[in-house]
Amino acid sequence: MNEAKKAAEYRSELKPIWCPGCGDFGFLNALYKALEELQLDTANTVVCSGIGCSSRISGYVKAYTFNGIHGRVLPFASGVKMSRPETTVIAVGGDGDGFSIGAGHIGHAARKNINITYIVLDNNIYGLTKGQASPTTPLGVRTKTTYYGNMGTTFNPVRMLIAYKASFVARTFSGDPKHIQKILVDAVRHPGFAFIEVLSPCVTFRGQDQYKILRDRVRYLDENYNPENEVEAFDIANDENTLALGVIYKKIRPTYDEIIQQNVISKAKAASNGIAKIDKLLEQFQP
Amino acid sequence: MNNRNIVIGIAGSGGDGVVSAGEILVNAASSDGLFVFMLKSFGAQIRGGESSVRVRISDLPVQSQGDRIDVMVVLSWSNFLRFKSELLLQEDAVIVSDTDDPMSDDSIPLNELQRTNWYKIPFSKLATEQTGSNLAKNIVMLGAISELFTLPKEALNKSVKKKFKTKTDDIIESNIKAMQAGIDYVREHIEKKDPLRFEYEIRSPRLVMQGNEAVAMGAIYAGLEFYAGYPITPSTEIMEWISRYLPQRDGITMQMEDELASINAIIGASFAGRKAMTATSGPGISLMTEGIGLASMAEIPVVIINVQRGGPSTGLPTKTEQADLMQAIWGSTGDSARVVIAPCDVEDCFDCTVMAFYISEKYQMPVIVLSDQFIAHRTESVNPDAIRGSKEGFRKVYTRDVPDEEQLKDYRRYQFTESGVSPMSFPGIAGGEYHASGLEHDERGYPRGDAASHQKMTEKRWKKFEQIKEEFRFERFYGPLDAQLGVIAWGSTKGAVKEAVNKANAMGIAVGALIPQLIYPFLLDPFNEFMKSKKRVIIPEMSFSGQFKRYLRGFIRFGDYGVKDVAYAKAGGSPFTVEEILNKIIEEWKDMEASR
Repeated sequence: MNEAKKAAEYRSELKPIWCPGCGDFGFLNALYKALEELQLDTANTVVCSGIGCSSRISGYVKAYTFNGIHGRVLPFASGVKMSRPETTVIAVGGDGDGFSIGAGHIGHAARKNINITYIVLDNNIYGLTKGQASPTTPLGVRTKTTYYGNMGTTFNPVRMLIAYKASFVARTFSGDPKHIQKILVDAVRHPGFAFIEVLSPCVTFRGQDQYKILRDRVRYLDENYNPENEVEAFDIANDENTLALGVIYKKIRPTYDEIIQQNVISKAKAASNGIAKIDKLLEQFQP
Repeated sequence: MNNRNIVIGIAGSGGDGVVSAGEILVNAASSDGLFVFMLKSFGAQIRGGESSVRVRISDLPVQSQGDRIDVMVVLSWSNFLRFKSELLLQEDAVIVSDTDDPMSDDSIPLNELQRTNWYKIPFSKLATEQTGSNLAKNIVMLGAISELFTLPKEALNKSVKKKFKTKTDDIIESNIKAMQAGIDYVREHIEKKDPLRFEYEIRSPRLVMQGNEAVAMGAIYAGLEFYAGYPITPSTEIMEWISRYLPQRDGITMQMEDELASINAIIGASFAGRKAMTATSGPGISLMTEGIGLASMAEIPVVIINVQRGGPSTGLPTKTEQADLMQAIWGSTGDSARVVIAPCDVEDCFDCTVMAFYISEKYQMPVIVLSDQFIAHRTESVNPDAIRGSKEGFRKVYTRDVPDEEQLKDYRRYQFTESGVSPMSFPGIAGGEYHASGLEHDERGYPRGDAASHQKMTEKRWKKFEQIKEEFRFERFYGPLDAQLGVIAWGSTKGAVKEAVNKANAMGIAVGALIPQLIYPFLLDPFNEFMKSKKRVIIPEMSFSGQFKRYLRGFIRFGDYGVKDVAYAKAGGSPFTVEEILNKIIEEWKDMEASR
């Protein structure tokens, strides 16, 4: 048996480009530790991302990693997972990538229950383009594109994901890397689509006080909390003043690859008596 | 007069069984080894409404749908009139219609000759007598026309049985009786006035396929493992077919939420080491454009089928056009390396798809196959040996280059190589872990924003074209190569061009044609060979702005060859007829003669 891998061995040679104080550092360190705890094989792990500050993460991990285009990390991750189900797939992006340009994909990855982990590092702002409003920027906040104050009501990602029937919905905070690590391990082990919202402050464009503001707002879910009660989960999600941290909703149901193997491939191969030969398929075109 | 080639039109309402009758006819002719070409046309309704088919049956190879109809079968005159502009009749066309059609003879637009050659047969009444319902009137009709024009009767009988093979014996039996009733009625009550008789030799059976089916089959042949797509006319049948049969070969089909998802899902599957494909049409390809650029940048093999329809925007969803050419070749931000191939008939759809996988897997870039609605939805009889691979055609299957042990010691995914191709590892290969990105990058895939890196990596990606150009000569010449008059066309226009060129040469007009299949990268050699003797070249295309001609002009200056290039550009909607191309050839030839 090989020696156990250390967190540092999941680190790539690339150095993060983030600003000092960025919440994403806390997450990245927790990710390395979670990979160590899970002892994932780098050759069978894919970390992929979209575009944005947080999407740079894929480059910082030693595994098969992919930094694709804006908003499309979930379709990419679905393609990887469905074509190679033995791979552990971790998809990462920001609030702009996931809830604005890529919002159309979340519901479908969730309802299909693609067995991947999807992490949104939510900093309430577009950071890479230097400070424009995102779907989670609070109402009234001045940004470079909302000079007179942000006009749209803020997205509630957790509520959205429960409504989409995501089979695992959690929230954590980059001010508490240990908590992130625990949630990440649970999410990767969860058989199905696991969503994690990481409250990850952007000190550059949302202010140095973000950590303090969030620390005052967050609370940890009770150890006895049962995440399988959908109504209770919605209640918790609806509380936008106190942000609950932990696994807010969870429901085990068949994953997409299980359904495809059991209900599609097995039926198809029964119909064709095993792997269909080309000549056999051609028979249907005989007059 | 004995015909070795016959074009039969059938028109009626949605419930008349027009398409079923067409399919039975096609199957019968194909099982006797005849060459068949069928086009279907529907009204705008999703269900019901009017429909028509045009079936060309020939003892000799056919290239096109046949310009004019020899035998027009009308199951309902009111519905025929809706297709009048699409169904052009021969001056002496034979008309076969239902005796009890409610429309009065006077209001039907036929010439004197056609009125003389008009047979009325009580299809509905005979069907009701034999089967208790008028549903089988199309089968009665098939019996009647088989007797009138000596069509393959036994094969028709077999095809009718096959059509109803999932039904009860009673139903099969009554349909056979219905067909016989049609035959008997003609024998007993009809006096044959026209001279049309179909004559042919029975050969071994041919396969019956549509272009979209041939694409799907070609993909399976090439080893497709993962398909993601979103339904869009006229490409949908590809996904329908693959979703049913790919799982029989352990493959995965995913219906995605949109085309953005489709292209990114196949990029994901290909990154994971699988052969992956999607199919779409104009609006979908527009959405995929960014993803195609990503595949180009990250050097990920993917095959994209674009079944062109009329555009821009939603355009003409059920009609053909060839105006996505520039989008296929250049449609991207930045200089995005990709290959574009165009099939020109149903059999070619198979070949081109196999080739697309070969090129994309070997050269690690997106390959776009530009089909169009005219090929996609037509039914042709296809040589079974061509598909099974015993005939000449593109049948090479490529398995992606993966890094060897030595390379894995210090794996560089985008290593600079002489050919520009570097071994591609995938999840599961230990030591092959790497970073890929839509960002410009270094040999290891890590982001690099400097101009020198960008220059060098772009050169690497584009260098692959040199080898592709050496490996492939993929074009077709028709007619004498040394003729002074030429036609250059691409894709589905081939059929009408080939037939027109053959006709023109038979008339004493020397004209040659060049049909490139590998559209991009541009191969100069075939053009040089073709141009050597030319004085004038006609470029017919279903693109109003003349995209193909503009594209050619980007690589060759016709003036340098002493050649005058003549555009024959029209908007899509209906494909070129042989007559249109032939008339253009004659017109240009006369003009050349006059100025001699």
